[in-house]
Amino acid sequence: MRKVLLMGQANVGKSVLFNRLAGAHVTESNYSGTTVDFAKGRMRLDHEDVEIIDVPGTFSLEPKDRAEEVAASMLKEEKGALVVCVIDSSKIERGLYLTLEVIEKGYPVVIALNMWDVAKGGNIKVDAKKLEQILGVPVVPTVATRGEGLKELALRMKNAVPADVEKIMKNVGVKSGTHN
Amino acid sequence: MELTIDQRWDLVERISKETVEVGVYEPSLKDALADVTVRPATGIPFAIAVIYGFWAFFCEFAGTLFTDGFFCKIFDGHWLPWLQGVFAGTPAWVFNIFVGDPLADNCFEAFGVLSSGIFLAIGVVLPAIVAFYLIFAILEDVGYMPRLAVLVDTLLHKIGLHGYAIVPTILSLGCNVPGVTAVRPLETRKQRFLAIVLLSVFVPCGAQIGIMEGMIPGLIGWVFLALVIGYFGVGWVINKIVPGESPEILMDVPPYQMPTARNIWAKLWTRTSKFLTVAVPFVLLGCVIVAVLYITGAMDAIASGLSPVITGVFGLPQDTAAAMIAGFLRKDLAVGTIGMLAAGGMTITVFQVFTAVVLLSIYFPCLATFALMIKELNWKETLGALATLIVMVFVYGAILHLIGLSGIGSSVWVPLE
Repeated sequence: MRKVLLMGQANVGKSVLFNRLAGAHVTESNYSGTTVDFAKGRMRLDHEDVEIIDVPGTFSLEPKDRAEEVAASMLKEEKGALVVCVIDSSKIERGLYLTLEVIEKGYPVVIALNMWDVAKGGNIKVDAKKLEQILGVPVVPTVATRGEGLKELALRMKNAVPADVEKIMKNVGVKSGTHN
Repeated sequence: MELTIDQRWDLVERISKETVEVGVYEPSLKDALADVTVRPATGIPFAIAVIYGFWAFFCEFAGTLFTDGFFCKIFDGHWLPWLQGVFAGTPAWVFNIFVGDPLADNCFEAFGVLSSGIFLAIGVVLPAIVAFYLIFAILEDVGYMPRLAVLVDTLLHKIGLHGYAIVPTILSLGCNVPGVTAVRPLETRKQRFLAIVLLSVFVPCGAQIGIMEGMIPGLIGWVFLALVIGYFGVGWVINKIVPGESPEILMDVPPYQMPTARNIWAKLWTRTSKFLTVAVPFVLLGCVIVAVLYITGAMDAIASGLSPVITGVFGLPQDTAAAMIAGFLRKDLAVGTIGMLAAGGMTITVFQVFTAVVLLSIYFPCLATFALMIKELNWKETLGALATLIVMVFVYGAILHLIGLSGIGSSVWVPLE
């Protein structure tokens, strides 16, 4: 069965998203580190049952604690998985770092720009379309706590493709091959 | 293709420059509140108010409203007489195990599996669990926990922990089992070991607190004081002995959020049903084991075998051995057992009740917690944890015994009805 991994930094709403997508009940709280182990559920994707996994929050793939170890090794084990990178829209820089790491490893990726409402409240505008063009993977704004954008997210999961890092670099004006 | 860390950050910066537009941020009431609750001068009084409110609600809701006002009446007025009627024709030993003392007129004194066991689990502990998790879920979802962590950070650093350790500690006040798993975000083995030992030894669970609140409302403050002293005292010592680092960790303090009823309900339901399915069978099993040990006479043998420790070192009545045995399975049952023994005729002083309740809390984590400790710690650490708690129970037992010799609280304790 195909697998979908929900990955992202701590406290960006992965568990909320998981509960909504899988109709499950893993604990959601408003602080980092609520999920320390992974949880599995099922969802329907493109007429096919897939397994969806709520991965503990991690800042990067170089683990700093036990929960992050779980996250990094989950990704390593699930070679064929599709990864939904969940990003806090009010501070996308942090989430993009992990997203790039996942992209570099060649996984097909979809981005959920979650907490869209929080970003709006803080007067932060993220151009989701442009982000999608630059990265070359689907980008969907979501508010998981209210269920907004989840249908589109599920629909666009089938468009998830591995992205090309060199292309991304070119898109933002970094000449490839200039490694210093 | 894989990038270096610097290249990756450079790329992140370029991407966000192209896609993010940050407007003027207008601080809102939420921000003002966030600020007030995290600044020590205003945050500490606020934290005290929150904890006091938590406690007041816990006692009112669980103790007064549900246990005294509702469950006691149902259990004593209807359940017990009904049980006594149904089991009327059964052999004495069956009646003894399931219903208990035939002359009892309340579920607390009866001491049977279906009378006292069910009453403790459903009538006393369940309301306590629900009350605790309701408030806890609200605090979690609002986003107060990380702020509390920031406030206690300096204090917890003195014992080698990080402010985040307050989260598993408070979670353990509901049940030690999720508390033990919640230490995972702590960075080093040393910190995780410290946190697991301290919370499994010194943090009483919600079930236990519920029973204490019902049984010894006047002493509960002293019990907490003894446990808090232990938490920090032992933490300080372990921090000095155990090698390893206690690094700083960066913790995200999320914005305050309005909790949703849906999520509060989902959490309350998951945690409560876990209690019902996992804990209740253990309470009932514990009742059966204690009852069987009594009926076969094994309890007398165990009690007299243990009396050099229980009476000699701890200064407790020999019969409290029954509570210690129950405590391996469930702490709430163990505390309840002391009340039931006293109601059944065991003479015990107020100070001895205090001593027994404190020792029950620290002498061994309940079976479920212990099983999880083995999973989270390696063998060396598990043995270390066991050694710590064995030393602790003797040190505490002996100190409390000595204090008791001064004659404090020497009047005979009368269990509340």
